[in-house]
This record gives sequence, C-alpha cells and structure tokens, in this order.
Amino acid sequence: MKHDITFTINGESVHLTVLSHQTLLEVIRNDLGLTGPKYGCSTGECGACSVLLDGEVVNSCLVLAPEADGAEIMTVEGLSEDDELHPLQKSFIDHHGVQCGYCAPGMLISAKALLSRTSRPHEEEIREALVGNLCRCGAYADIIKSIQVASRARR
Amino acid sequence: MTRHAFISMETVFLKSFQYIRPESLEEAGRFLAGDAPVKLLGGGNTLLLRIQSGEEEPAILLDVKHLPGFKDVRYHHNQGLKLGAAVNLQHLVMGLEIRRHYALLHQTAQKLASPQVRNRATIGGTLAWASPVSELAAPMLCYDAVCHVWSSRGLREIPLSEFYLGDFQTALAGDEIITHVHLPAFPNRTYGVYRRQTVRHDGRRMIAAAAVLAYRRQQALTHWRIAVLGVDDRPKRIPEAEAALEGAPTEEEVDRALHIVQEQIHPVDADYARADYRRASLNVLLRQAILDVIQQLQSMRS
Repeated sequence: MKHDITFTINGESVHLTVLSHQTLLEVIRNDLGLTGPKYGCSTGECGACSVLLDGEVVNSCLVLAPEADGAEIMTVEGLSEDDELHPLQKSFIDHHGVQCGYCAPGMLISAKALLSRTSRPHEEEIREALVGNLCRCGAYADIIKSIQVASRARR
Repeated sequence: MTRHAFISMETVFLKSFQYIRPESLEEAGRFLAGDAPVKLLGGGNTLLLRIQSGEEEPAILLDVKHLPGFKDVRYHHNQGLKLGAAVNLQHLVMGLEIRRHYALLHQTAQKLASPQVRNRATIGGTLAWASPVSELAAPMLCYDAVCHVWSSRGLREIPLSEFYLGDFQTALAGDEIITHVHLPAFPNRTYGVYRRQTVRHDGRRMIAAAAVLAYRRQQALTHWRIAVLGVDDRPKRIPEAEAALEGAPTEEEVDRALHIVQEQIHPVDADYARADYRRASLNVLLRQAILDVIQQLQSMRS
C-alpha cells in the first residue's frame, strides 16, 4: 500500500510516496540521502538511528514512514547552521567524543534533545539521556565530557 | 531535496502490510471485525520487532494513536487521573500532574527502557502486551488503575487487577480497544516506592521487582498495596500481604507480610536467574520498599 506523505526535515518540506511497511530510517537514508542516522540493531537498542520527531528523540528504525506524515524531523545534518557546526558538534571534536563515529549522530541527537529541556544538565542527567545510545568503542566518558563542556559554553 | 542517495540500505526489514490510520473507533472496529489479520499499532517498539522476526504477520496495522481523545491527560483532585491509551510513557516521566499526584508512576517510568523507547511507547500498548515483567503494571496496580475498553458491542471497564490472565494473556477480546486508563484520586499523604533488580540498566532481564504504596491517616498507615513482577506468570497484587500491614506495621507484621508474599509467588528459572534467586531477591527488594514507605510516611507532618 502506498502513501503520499509530507513532512519537514531539517527545516525543508518534502513530499514522498512511501510504502506502509517502510521505516522512517529507510526513507531518510535511501530516499533523502541523509546518511547521518545509522542502521545499527533495528531493534531499538542501540540508538544509532536516533532522530528528533516533533522535538522528541525516537529510534527511526521503529517508526513507520507513513507515521511521519505531517511531522517535523531533525537529523544530525540539521544541527549545523550556515556551515557553522553546532556547539555540541564542535565539543565532540575537541573532546574526542567521536571515536569510530558510528554512534555519534545518535548521541548528538539525544544530547540536543536533552539541552533543549535542560540547559545545564548534571552528569547524571546526561547519562540518563544517553541510556538509549550504545557506543561500542566505549567512548562514553569523553562523550559525556563533550556534552558537559558544550552546555557550559552555550551561556 | 536535491541530494541523491549514495549509500542504500539493501534490506527491507518488514514484511508487507497495510498501514491504516482510522478516524474513529467505529472505523477501527470495522477492520477488527473483518477477516484479515489486524494488529493495533501503538509505539511499535515490540510489534515491529515481532513482525521483523515473523512471529506476527498482520495484513493490516491500525494506527490508533490519532483517535479522538487517545492522547488526552486529565487530572481532577476528586475524580483522579484519566490517561488516554496513546499517551506515551515519557509523559509519565515529564507530566506535572503525574509528578505531583502519582509520584510512584513517575518514579517507575523514569527507569523504563530509554527516552527513545518511552517517547514512542503508549500506555495502552504497554498494558495490552501484558509482559509478566511489565514495569508499568507495578505502579498502575498500586494505584487501582481501571482500563476502559471499547468494542462495537459497547463499553466496559476492566480493573487492572483482573486484566492480566497469564503470560502475555489479557482479558481483552480480539475486537476490543483500550481507550483510556483511569486512576482514582489519592490523598496528599500517599507514598510509594518501586524497587527492582535487573541484569541491565534499561530494565531488560528482570530478576524481580516490587512496588509498595500506602497512605497516612492520622497516625495510621493504611491502604497498603504490594505489586510484584518477575516472580509469576503475570504482574500481580498480593492482597493478603497488604492486609497484614494495615495500621502501623510492627517488625513482626512486616515479616508476616513478606512470608505471605513468598507463599503466593511462582517464579520460574531464567537463564540469567534461577527461580530461588528471584524469590530471594524479591524478598530483599520488598522489605526495603516496605520499610522505606513506613519511614517516609511516619516522617511526614501530621
């Protein structure tokens, strides 16, 4: 079954024809060519596919594409403005929050969701916000530090 | 969008089905009455995995999240709390009325899975899935939650204490839809504790868990509730143990309540925890929770 859907992604409006059983992740990567969100576990455990759906972080591998009709979506590609990296992205670079990099787009999206609610999160709040994002390099300490530094720098 | 895909995911993960967003319960009911296998779609965290693995092969997925009233949250100090079936679990973490008046629900929801999963998972879907380790069930049972259910035959109410029939089994008929859950109002001086032991931080691989709730009326600690998880084929309350705590329980009465609980659970072996270990764990968790509730209620100003 086909669905004509419209949503906003990183500020741009798109019209697409999708199938009932396509996931949002498939559509974002294959149809829109935005390969920031990664295919990891496809079971909602790893968070590599995290995107913001109407401002809330979700696993895009477990959202059906037709469910996104009318939604506002942000992927990691939407963080930077006018070729200027987001403070979180800069901080991940400066403080080694990126090791192999596979989890980084999801980590950044979870961090973005956190900072939009809590401008100066404690370490414990950062850890809780990242419960759904796995880093198999084990770079957690530097990821948490990157987010802490970015949140302090914003004010 | 002018960009072209340069890395393509080759796999289509899900088998084909029709996604339908019904406008009304009546429309949803017509699909449920048809011949094609239908599944209701809430957050999809579990259902989509079961479709991936072939355990479910629905022809139609009915996305019930947009039905009228399904995302409503209403609190009234006498009438209690009404939660639409499509309210997500993250609302239980963030919602002010939950934090203020149903703190045990807030406390438990914080521990559930991850923000990604909680933002999608719905109250109706989570209850209907009826896992024996459904953590949402513990506070809901303590707060005397009642499921309100619609079918083309009419409306009915199912108290959560009668909702679970066993491993992933509920009292819901195949054509019934949970529309909302109702929790009665509780006095201000109510206190609850949820304690769990799991192998993983996100709550997976549960060994055992317990929720305990009571309230204080003058010097008496009353209306005790004990809900247990992971130690039986369903989440359940233990009314006889609750009765043993009524009043201001002494050490012996706490021991007696714990003893009653031990007699009424039937834990099974899991590859990560033997049944006797789950039994022992529950005893420790429950004792801690009961003592914590006693201490907190007694320290409140009368």
